[in-house]
Amino acid sequence: MNFAPDLDEQDQATLDLSHLRRLWPFVAPYRGTFVACLLILGLSFVLELAGPYLLRVALDGPIADAIRGRPTDPNAVWRLGALYLAVTVGGVSLGWTYAMLTARAGQRVIRDLRVRLFGHLLRLGLGFYDRNASGKLVTRVTTDVENLNELISTGVLQSLFDLLKIVGVLAVLFWLDPTLALITLLATPIVIAVSLAFRNRVRTSYRDVRHRLALQNAFAGEAIGGVRVARMFGREPAVAQQFAARNRQTRNAWLATAAHFAAFVALVDVALRTTQVAILGVGGHGVISGAISAGVFVQFWLYFHKLSEPIRELGEKYNVLQSAFASSERIFGILDEPVAPIPAAQPQPAGQGPAALRFEQVEFAYRDGPPVLHGIDFEVPPGQRTALVGPTGAGKSTVLALVSRLYDPSAGRVLLDGEPLPSLDLDGLRRRIAVVPQDVFLFTGTILDNVRLFDDAIDEARVQRALELVGARDFVQALPGGLHAPVEERGATLSHGQRQLLSFARAIAVEPDLLVLDEATANIDSESEALIQDGMRRILAGRTSLVVAHRLSTVRDADQILVVHDGRIAERGSHRELLALEGIYARMVRG
Amino acid sequence: MHYGDRLVIRLRSFRRVVRLWAGEQRGRVVVGLACVPIAAVLSLLLPRLGGETLDLATRLAGTEGEQVDEFYALCFLVLAVALGETAIRWVARRTLIDASRHAEARLKEELMAHLLRLPVPWFDRARTGDILSRFTQDVELVRFAVGPSMLHGGAALIVIPGGFWFMAQLSPLVTAAAAAAFVLLLGSLALVTPRMHRDSKAVQESIAAISQRAAEAFAGVRVLLWFSRAQRETAAFGRQSDDYVDHSVRLARTRALFNLFIHSCRELVVIGILVLGAREAIAQRLTAGELFELLMLTTVMISPLISISWILALVQRSLAAAERLEELFEVTPEPDVGADADLRGNLAVRNLTFAYPGHETPALRDVSFAIEAGKKLGIVGPVGSGKTTLLALLLRLYAPPRGSVFVDEHDICDIRPSTLRRAFAVAPQDPFLFSDTIQHNVAFGHGDGRDATGIGEAVHASGLDLDLARAPAGLEVVIGERGLTLSGGQKQRVSLARALASSGGTLVLDDTLSAVDHHTERVILQRLRHARQKRAVLVVSHRLSAVRDADLILVLDEGRVVATGTHAELLKNDGYYAAVHRRQEHRDTLEDGPLADGPLADGPLADGPLADGPLADGPLADGPLADGPLADGPLADGPLADGPLEDGS
Repeated sequence: MNFAPDLDEQDQATLDLSHLRRLWPFVAPYRGTFVACLLILGLSFVLELAGPYLLRVALDGPIADAIRGRPTDPNAVWRLGALYLAVTVGGVSLGWTYAMLTARAGQRVIRDLRVRLFGHLLRLGLGFYDRNASGKLVTRVTTDVENLNELISTGVLQSLFDLLKIVGVLAVLFWLDPTLALITLLATPIVIAVSLAFRNRVRTSYRDVRHRLALQNAFAGEAIGGVRVARMFGREPAVAQQFAARNRQTRNAWLATAAHFAAFVALVDVALRTTQVAILGVGGHGVISGAISAGVFVQFWLYFHKLSEPIRELGEKYNVLQSAFASSERIFGILDEPVAPIPAAQPQPAGQGPAALRFEQVEFAYRDGPPVLHGIDFEVPPGQRTALVGPTGAGKSTVLALVSRLYDPSAGRVLLDGEPLPSLDLDGLRRRIAVVPQDVFLFTGTILDNVRLFDDAIDEARVQRALELVGARDFVQALPGGLHAPVEERGATLSHGQRQLLSFARAIAVEPDLLVLDEATANIDSESEALIQDGMRRILAGRTSLVVAHRLSTVRDADQILVVHDGRIAERGSHRELLALEGIYARMVRG
Repeated sequence: MHYGDRLVIRLRSFRRVVRLWAGEQRGRVVVGLACVPIAAVLSLLLPRLGGETLDLATRLAGTEGEQVDEFYALCFLVLAVALGETAIRWVARRTLIDASRHAEARLKEELMAHLLRLPVPWFDRARTGDILSRFTQDVELVRFAVGPSMLHGGAALIVIPGGFWFMAQLSPLVTAAAAAAFVLLLGSLALVTPRMHRDSKAVQESIAAISQRAAEAFAGVRVLLWFSRAQRETAAFGRQSDDYVDHSVRLARTRALFNLFIHSCRELVVIGILVLGAREAIAQRLTAGELFELLMLTTVMISPLISISWILALVQRSLAAAERLEELFEVTPEPDVGADADLRGNLAVRNLTFAYPGHETPALRDVSFAIEAGKKLGIVGPVGSGKTTLLALLLRLYAPPRGSVFVDEHDICDIRPSTLRRAFAVAPQDPFLFSDTIQHNVAFGHGDGRDATGIGEAVHASGLDLDLARAPAGLEVVIGERGLTLSGGQKQRVSLARALASSGGTLVLDDTLSAVDHHTERVILQRLRHARQKRAVLVVSHRLSAVRDADLILVLDEGRVVATGTHAELLKNDGYYAAVHRRQEHRDTLEDGPLADGPLADGPLADGPLADGPLADGPLADGPLADGPLADGPLADGPLADGPLEDGS
């Protein structure tokens, strides 16, 4: 278990608005909702201003009248109270509606973006996955998308509106009393600057905390998971010490965050409160000189209070915006990756029945790498087996990858039943081919899910037949739940041989026209070895197959053997012919 | 659990937390706890001073001169109180939060030190994930109780009653209205807050599921492409994302409800002030300044109210967390007591029968053998025959029955466990390595400050040097999920080197070369013979090649010794051993020259990701959660992530 964060990534990005434009297609379907939200925000702003106004009317109207001994309307206060209640109910309902609308629409925008990103990632060629660690890609569809989520469901509208609000309140303040407003106007930038500067520090140090915490948790996981090893070597004290050291680092990071946060809170407080007292002084002076009434003063005070919240939050909003920009840059960077292989404009159906495979002078180089295949030219007739042998790194596995178009050759052609692969429907092509890789990959799910790869079109009976054919039925039946037994931790609870058999069954269940098999090299216990050899014999029988072979028994029965060396076919022929040649193959066989 | 026991645990957990917090952090705690009420009282004075300032201004309306100075003096007093409160609150925050962080760190440290001393059988039953959540969530909950809840809760305990007292002096009627509204608020928040926890947990679980699905899809992308399952997988991912939308919207609704309650309550109090207060003002029982004071008091009291509702919701969970932690501390560590003999390594096992705790069928039955120090013992047998169990008992990872296992004629039950284990150097079946440099992993077992030549020899003898030759960073390369991914064979070689470099005496190799190919195995076995010299060796192996030169070979089956002897003797017996030997002698591997599929080839040490093409570097290469969203997800932010008590507190 590991929770280490991605360290190379910064939340800093230039505030480039072009990314926002690219979000538009995702937002567009819900634009009505977002426009409604803006209207709601505007309306609730007006209602927010109404409350303090009503208080002022009460203070300057009936109350002031009473103090001056003038007759007052006893019902005026009730009317004002009723109005205030109406304003409150309106504001609360608008707030509720706004929250729900933005959450619903925002979440759907994010969902669309996430699924689109995921789908696009699965349409990128293997070359992309060679260059990008899968952990990083997971971050793209989770953390990065979440950052945009924050931007969309609260960030953009809210911060846009906060700015409007600040301007709006300031305008109203100027209308109420220019002197007081001037004080506010002078103080606002200071508060904003303090907020921005310290919020940023809090954020930076909090990122450090998360990093340290992740390292520490990962270490704790290892310390617990590896407790037997520590025990065997009597090294528990050393492990405890190492943990303590990481623990102290995390603590120090927390202390730094807390210090920054405390400073942020205190400094913003100092700035706001000093401004408030200045308003108190100048406003009070205005009351003394008769320039303003007590009611106006209270109204002003309450408005300023409304201003202080968005100002305080501005730093935080800016940070949200920044990380959202950084994330959208990364997300759209992936969406800009070209799909590979490029689908045919008018794809031919991929055909059916026993397949014939042909390589014509195929060359291949991985992106930016040296060529790994040169002039590969061979044919696998229907129903026959061709074996590829040769040292590791000779290019055998690459040949297999070209058959399913996980890569496309840089020169030459690969043909299935005489049709070049790029002209065929990709989906159909891949459905005719089943691949058994060297390393078995099992998904979280049941045995059934893993054999049919979540394809309900393959019924249980077919899965049972496939398991029986490869000789896996007995062990599957012995599992608690049989076919429906859960596969845990990617099959870690199954033996190597059992996992291989599932991989065989997976290939057989799709009833392929061409079987592509990369024989496992790992040395395993003899029981597993026997299982695998037996299973392999069963699935190869009578099928067109292309096999990367490591075992003599697999090669001997092949109709054609290709000896691949340094990316070329160095020798070809049957077992007997190649032995007679006394070349590389003969040396390999004789050890 | 018994009620009395529960009480004892609760008291002990309380004592532990108090010791780590109020005891070890006494200075900070005393200063912090003293500052909290002072700041609270000052914050209550502000509305009163503000109101008086306004009243003074109203009274002075139309006057000039010295009387106005009185007004300015009052303003300066307000400023002094306001800034004083800010400063004192800053001190309280720094001391109390820092104290809670120190206490948290100490708690984690003690917990880890304790866990590492627990007996191995305990770990068989415990799940690593559960233990880790003690470290993350439970410790954070306990910290919450002594940190933020002291800071915010302590203030609330003064501000709320104090606020009412100030209000009551002005207008009992308004106070009654405010009290009613506040009670209503507390009640509704008490209902909403647990829902908020539940919903936000559901959202976190949902995003974790998304992350898990994505991680598998990307790691297994080849399978998805080969079998043309990309579209289907995208559809499934879409459904999972829909699920996330549902949970998120539900959380948003709860949050909106939370805000709605707070907003409504505040406005209700203001309406109370507007209507009831204004009527009293008209009746000349309240001044404008006093009305102003009432409004400001409302503002001051609202956020402590929210804190209280949050603290009430968490305090129960904090207590439960402290108890769960204490339950871990209650588990008795393995007693490290016994004789400190200088062990040479003569080994004798007499009529050893052993069943794992909770199992009825014995894993070993009546096993007896003896081997002198410096000799080589081989143990073979099918899967599940008890080979690894036997080794675990020799190391006393599990307690063997007294009178059955002897080292140098000491019953191992009488030897101090750490002394006993120092007499062995183990390369276990599961070659568990730490995410650290290869150097540190190899040096793990030999204590501090041993010379580098020991490591060099170990690296050579284990065949690890063959791998390192191609890795530019050599021994300094970091392995594990954050660094290089090693193949199974490479891990085994590091584990073997670790055992060889350890200062332990008898070398114990538990199927250590199972993932190593035949050729490399030959090389390593040869080097091992050279390196071990006088060291005794215990070898468990599937492959007979590793044990054929042993002085004694045990054949185990279903926990019994079914045959003993040397290689030659066992072959003559024509039993299991001979049968396996025949099967393994039949060579079926195509190899072209030395090390074809050996250590140079089988992993990323060779040449980076493109080395052996697309099918080579297995789909498990980089752990699914390596840098996934869980990194900064629920475990990182703890249970308080979405609380009103912000991140720094």
